[in-house]
Amino acid sequence: MTLTIQTALFIALVGILGIFIFMFIFYLLIKGLDKWFPYEEEKPEQDLILDEVED
Amino acid sequence: MGLEQLLPAISGMTWQHLVMIGVGLILIYLAIAKKYEPTLLLPMGFGAILVNIPLSSAITQIDPATGKAVEGVLNIFFDAGIATEIFPLLIFIAIGAMIDFSPLFRNPSLLLFGAAAQFGIFLTMVLAALLGYDIREAASIGIIGAADGPTSIVVASRFAPNLLGPISVAAYSYMALVPIIQPPVIRMLTTKKERLIRMTGNNNKKISKKALIAFPIVITIAAGIIAPSSLALIGFLMFGNLIRECGVLNKLSMSAQNELSSLVTILLGITIASTMTAERFIRVDTLIIIALGLFAFVFDTFGGVIFAKFLNIFRKEGNKINPMVGACGISAFPMSARVIHQMGQKEDPYNYLLMPAISANVGGQIGSVVAGGIILTLVPLLA
Repeated sequence: MTLTIQTALFIALVGILGIFIFMFIFYLLIKGLDKWFPYEEEKPEQDLILDEVED
Repeated sequence: MGLEQLLPAISGMTWQHLVMIGVGLILIYLAIAKKYEPTLLLPMGFGAILVNIPLSSAITQIDPATGKAVEGVLNIFFDAGIATEIFPLLIFIAIGAMIDFSPLFRNPSLLLFGAAAQFGIFLTMVLAALLGYDIREAASIGIIGAADGPTSIVVASRFAPNLLGPISVAAYSYMALVPIIQPPVIRMLTTKKERLIRMTGNNNKKISKKALIAFPIVITIAAGIIAPSSLALIGFLMFGNLIRECGVLNKLSMSAQNELSSLVTILLGITIASTMTAERFIRVDTLIIIALGLFAFVFDTFGGVIFAKFLNIFRKEGNKINPMVGACGISAFPMSARVIHQMGQKEDPYNYLLMPAISANVGGQIGSVVAGGIILTLVPLLA
């Protein structure tokens, strides 16, 4: 087995593992962002203006 | 004075030039008649004609009178836009501005298919090494499997500029051929029962604007900490996405999606053609690269489908993944998702796989860029 093939196999192994690790970290970040910033019904702009007037 | 002196291009014309002009015409035909990636294949086809007319002033020529090189405009574009990676990176800003990442927030676990369906890249790289290519060339050929033109161009222009022409043609052609390549591979790997699996998910879940704004920033920081070499690729993609999601730069977002994308695509396509000269393109290597590109796409699909089947071993009945969705982990967006949705509907008209397929496909867009970043990091370290 030549050095090139050995290097290619090593890069393939590390690359596949690396990409799964990257994507798993991104998965955790998405889960975290979803938890930290849950969806809230946004107030229509008209209501915001009325709130300001009342203040 | 003979005709050859009056029209020196005729005396300089060889069969190789004629073949390349034929290749250019085929690319133009595929772009117009078959609508295969016309935005790229048409400029590339026209450029192939432009650079294969002998003595063309579009590419650098040696002036016979002075013996000095007279630079052609396409070579100047190449040095300024592709050798420096500026054109593909600008395209990433445009792509980032076009991507809506909210499907990933609805089905985040499907992001992992964006990793599994990059399998073909690495397998093809090993195969190319077995065929005698050095590691830089093998990595550049393997990246065709990213199904992502700009990533292929960035990697190939850095590691194997001599192979950029065939790699770009293969990458863009196979992206257009996803509806032909993927279905037979998927059918071969799945049973009818598996293709009938219905997927329920949070398809209607609403996503907070704050989360969508924070996403590109957080991903850029995370990618930068783990692999700084991947930052140019991921960072430009995420910058484009931040422009889209921030809500205060709508004009810039629209410009990135339309004017920037169109302008750079025109320049990118015709500039790549400067590498499609007869002496560079008509080689056995070109045929091998085109065959290896197909191999990469087939094994990307294989990786995604098999990974879904593997996950199903651990999932309860009623919560299984339709393995066809795994094939959407490639970057060809939204074509792959559409193909899988149509395949699902063919098996069962009431099976709607579009949303999970889009989630996996968006994951594939990130996965292909990450794969490019990993290769850009690992190859210089080990080569």
